Amino acid sequence: MELFTPDFGLVFWMFIAFILLFLVLAKWGWPVIIKMMDSRAATIDQGVEDAKQAKEQLDNAREEAKKYVVEAQARQAEMLRDAARMKTEIIEQAKNEAADAARKEMDAAKAAIEQARKEAELQFRNEVGRFSIDIAEKMVRNQMKSDKAQTELVNKLLDEIEKN
Amino acid sequence: MRLLISIKEGMSKRISTLALLLALVAAFPFAMSASGHDDGGELDVKEIIFEHLGDGYGWEVPFAHVYRIPLPVIVKSEDGKWFCFSSDDLTEIDVTENKETGKVTKHLVPVVKIIKKDGKEYRFTLAKEGDHKDKVVELIPDGNGYREYRPLDISITKNVAALFIAAILVTAMVMGLVRYYRRKGLRAPRKGMGFFEMLVSFVYYDTIKSTLGESTKRFAPYLLTCFFFILTMNLVGLIVIFPGGANLTGNIAVTLVLAFMTFVVTNIFGTKHYWKEIFWPDVPLFLKFPLPIMQMIEVFGIFTKPAALCVRLFANMMGGHIIVITLTLLIFIFAAFGAGVAGGATVISVLFSIFMLLLDVLVSFIQAYVFTLLSALFISMAVVKEHEHNAEGDEAYPQKEHRDRQEIAEEKKALADLAKEVDA
Repeated sequence: MELFTPDFGLVFWMFIAFILLFLVLAKWGWPVIIKMMDSRAATIDQGVEDAKQAKEQLDNAREEAKKYVVEAQARQAEMLRDAARMKTEIIEQAKNEAADAARKEMDAAKAAIEQARKEAELQFRNEVGRFSIDIAEKMVRNQMKSDKAQTELVNKLLDEIEKN
Repeated sequence: MRLLISIKEGMSKRISTLALLLALVAAFPFAMSASGHDDGGELDVKEIIFEHLGDGYGWEVPFAHVYRIPLPVIVKSEDGKWFCFSSDDLTEIDVTENKETGKVTKHLVPVVKIIKKDGKEYRFTLAKEGDHKDKVVELIPDGNGYREYRPLDISITKNVAALFIAAILVTAMVMGLVRYYRRKGLRAPRKGMGFFEMLVSFVYYDTIKSTLGESTKRFAPYLLTCFFFILTMNLVGLIVIFPGGANLTGNIAVTLVLAFMTFVVTNIFGTKHYWKEIFWPDVPLFLKFPLPIMQMIEVFGIFTKPAALCVRLFANMMGGHIIVITLTLLIFIFAAFGAGVAGGATVISVLFSIFMLLLDVLVSFIQAYVFTLLSALFISMAVVKEHEHNAEGDEAYPQKEHRDRQEIAEEKKALADLAKEVDA
């Protein structure tokens, strides 16, 4: 049977063709393709991983942002409260200071008035003293115009001394 | 719903087109008999089948019985000289006219090619009968006649040319993909290249890698070359006209070389363990000591494995070719019974031929795949290490199970991680 007996020429060329094909493809063909398919698969896997991580990070970032917003709001409220308190404090203080100043002013005025009054009183007393002395002198002089009165007085005084 | 209707419409349109074509085909024998055109002569079915299955020095062209694409004939004569000439020189067209009917018939008949070299005449011709029928023989003067000597023949025959075409096609496909990668980097190829790459990845990841495991890198180029070379040869063989039509993988010489390659690779890379399994397997002592029964079986097995590869591919592809050719020949066999019968036979045989050719496309793929898978399996059995070896001849399966278990464990871990994340 011709079909079942291998023909030498065909075996020979098949051998050469196969070896050549194998050498060419093993050197420049398959390794490149396999490397490329592997690296593409790796890239896709990496991409999926990256996307997952990115989503996680985004979620985390969102949460963090929310936290910051809440914190900021709390701080704002606190600041507003502080400001209000400070305002009332400042007003109070100003009021007190104003009251103090007014009191001091009043005290000083009172003291000055007192001083003035005392001086006036003293002056008045001196005036009154002088007037009374003047009046007494004038009265004395009037009474002592006659000699009889004078002698009478001297006698009276002498009597008094004698009595003692 | 509308889509379904449109598909149905398209289908019925296509079916009616097909029916029209078949009607034309059926009408062909009527036209033939009406015109009285007939090549004459008896139909030698066996001869035609064998001519199509076998090799040839020229390459047939469609619609012309007597014309061949010439190919170089390379032979070494008995006294050791090389000769190279065109296959056209070995045949000539013989025109005969039937005087009574006026019918002209053409035949291709062998002639003697005479070459003068170093003052000596060398005669080559195609043997008409005997062991070397239709092969180039050297005619050597012997007494008053000539005796035939079959020279060493490495002609570029139809099969060899088809072999080169297939090799070039494979190289072009692979290098095309490599060039695409060089240009486009990691971008996935589309269309034809995409399909080719899908095939490569299927063979590489699902067949070679899952069988060979860690020694994949070493044997992948060989196995991939095998797969694509066989697949291309199978498919090119199914194309009826010129660049195809050669029954390559249905030729025992081709499959023999392929199987021999696997045999060589398997035994060269065989580990100590592989050889120990052959010459001192784990069986009761009486099976291997005084009489080396197991050894004989194992050694026999070394050769039967590649032989099975060789015969499987050869028989499958040749069977496919024989069926398609026989179905086609039915038309001409039934032509003898009149135009009506021939018309019916034509329709049936065309339908069956189409079916068989489609089936052969599937078979081409399956056989290339089976050859690669079994080669990978044989190699994996040869390069197996001691600790991987579990059951007799079933190394691939325990490994697979092991890997599956590992995968399941990984998945479980991933799920646990996910649950943790969800909890968090």
